[in-house]
Amino acid sequence: MFKKILIANRGEIAVRVIKACQEMDITAVAVYSDADRSSLHVQTADEAVYVGAAPAGESYLNIDRIIQAGKDTGSEAIHPGYGFLAENAEFVQRCEQDNIVFIGPNSRAMKLVGDKIRSRQAMERAGIAIIPGMKSALKDISKYKSAAEKIGYPVMIKASAGGGGKGMRIVYKEADLKPALEAGKREAKAAFSNDSVYLEKYIEEPRHIEFQVLADNFGNTVHIFERECSIQRRHQKIVEESPSPALEPELREKMGAIAQKVINVTGYNNAGTVEFLLDKDKKFYFLEVNARLQVEHPVTELISGIDLVLQQIDIAAGQKLAFKQKELQQKGHAIECRIYAEDPQNNFLPSSGKVLFLKEPSGPGVRFDCGVYSGCDVPVYYDPILAKLIVWAENRDKACRRMLKALADCVVLGIKTNIEFLKDLIGHPMFKEGKTTTNFIQKNFPDWSPPEKPENLKELALTAAAFNSQKSSLKGGRYGTEPKEVYSPWNKLGKWTIGGGK
Amino acid sequence: MDYEFIIDGALAEVYLDKKEEKFIISLGKKSFEADICWISENVISLLTGGRSYCFYLASDKKQTHININGHYFYIKEPSDETSDFAGGEQASEKDALFIKAPMPGKVIKIDVKEKQAVRKNQTLAVVEAMKMENEIKSSIEGQVKKINAAPGDLVDPDMVLIELEKQ
Repeated sequence: MFKKILIANRGEIAVRVIKACQEMDITAVAVYSDADRSSLHVQTADEAVYVGAAPAGESYLNIDRIIQAGKDTGSEAIHPGYGFLAENAEFVQRCEQDNIVFIGPNSRAMKLVGDKIRSRQAMERAGIAIIPGMKSALKDISKYKSAAEKIGYPVMIKASAGGGGKGMRIVYKEADLKPALEAGKREAKAAFSNDSVYLEKYIEEPRHIEFQVLADNFGNTVHIFERECSIQRRHQKIVEESPSPALEPELREKMGAIAQKVINVTGYNNAGTVEFLLDKDKKFYFLEVNARLQVEHPVTELISGIDLVLQQIDIAAGQKLAFKQKELQQKGHAIECRIYAEDPQNNFLPSSGKVLFLKEPSGPGVRFDCGVYSGCDVPVYYDPILAKLIVWAENRDKACRRMLKALADCVVLGIKTNIEFLKDLIGHPMFKEGKTTTNFIQKNFPDWSPPEKPENLKELALTAAAFNSQKSSLKGGRYGTEPKEVYSPWNKLGKWTIGGGK
Repeated sequence: MDYEFIIDGALAEVYLDKKEEKFIISLGKKSFEADICWISENVISLLTGGRSYCFYLASDKKQTHININGHYFYIKEPSDETSDFAGGEQASEKDALFIKAPMPGKVIKIDVKEKQAVRKNQTLAVVEAMKMENEIKSSIEGQVKKINAAPGDLVDPDMVLIELEKQ
């Protein structure tokens, strides 16, 4: 087993992986940029290495600096988290050259699945259903016009190198194609340093269903069931759950088997996700392989009891999978909500700034994977994800109730978040019925504003504000305004030393 | 003691009076008694009529953020608000003519030139923050008077990127 692992990421996922390493008595090395000196992942790690300026291109995306940090600290392996270099085949290759184990797939498989056009071709050859679309990216922007006509509008622009909704655009008519291509290329370039984009048929009202897979280095593969991730905004997932309300056992088995086949066809190892679109008639199409640990991996962990990060580390260290497909079962129901620093009332614009106060929700079946703390700054340079709230309960109805309560218990003051929006979303009758398609938010929340607040709570809020304002006039003073030592029993002790009097 | 606050854009008056160990709170015609205490720097507990409430609160330069039972309230002192208040209609017209960045970020693209006529909802510029692009649109029909930003500039929400004028 490894003695030291470098985590080439930041935020909640870096914290998640660092904790897994520490459980295994593996020394966890964090990297940080100028914007992250005081971030949680740096505090949590055993060692921390400065890698550059705040813009990701000069730090978290800088292959040379990350590799150098790995070498300098004597790290035997690098865990890339998600985003940044997680799906960068060149980075994987550099790790392989420098004898640092990349905790993820081998570079050949990464290249194949990372190139959406080549992977589509490979799937076609293997007889796996794919969505009609372009066979390759084109240099000349004008040629996309005829390609779009051939596929038939609406078409979807997708980044050849990407995921996470970056670079994606839906185009309904020819007039919108050129500006959408330009914007898509710019976003793809900024996110993946590669502006190549392609077109495919846009399937309306589909569900987004993905299968978690694990493959060791000896050709053993399992799938750990599905996650339904249909609740998206701007192609960015917001809510994920397992099991999917749309899958019956036979369909689940069929899709799971195809997911394993995809992994075999591509020579993939370590943890990965096979994404499908499921249409209204329950026909499913291969979408892509996400060659990384997914943001939403905790959903799978809670329904299966398997720790995916520990599995990733075991597999990368050359261990065989310790279980077989038939030993796995999906137990109960798990839901994840992503807590973003954004203002749902103001067109979901990102909100950065200081988290003045944070209260983490807790309780039976509640998990909070968090990258921030009371008093921390949320920089503008990176993804706006602050934390993930994941709940588990015996069934979907109980899981929804648990999620609603946990969202109400999660308090973030100082910056705007989507927590209130998430509460409305999980509480929506269509969500309760499991009628989740990728246009759920567009359809049910075209123009969201927070629900009317109960009048008595408004009065109580004013009372609290008045109580807060009167501070010093109150007997005993406002907590924190007078020296706290006044109340401390230590003050009455006089001079003392630890271990004194021996 | 009498306090004035602005909540949801409206002025509200609260009267807080200490009576032995409890407080009498008066809001308009309504009055109630409560036992209030600080739990920690950001937490207040309030008991009234046999019910228990917990408040989480924190203040920045602009306002006090309060959360009760999962609901968020933003409360300002009236003195901070006077300029905005007096503005009213004028303020919104000012917003329409002086185009500011909606959040801190980087200018990706300026879609208009000086002296160019613009339609309502026409995209004026694209600003990127946290890896998402956001289009800034005109809320009026008019003409571009002045452009103060260029692609690549880092901008704050207080900065005027583009000045428009009505035709």
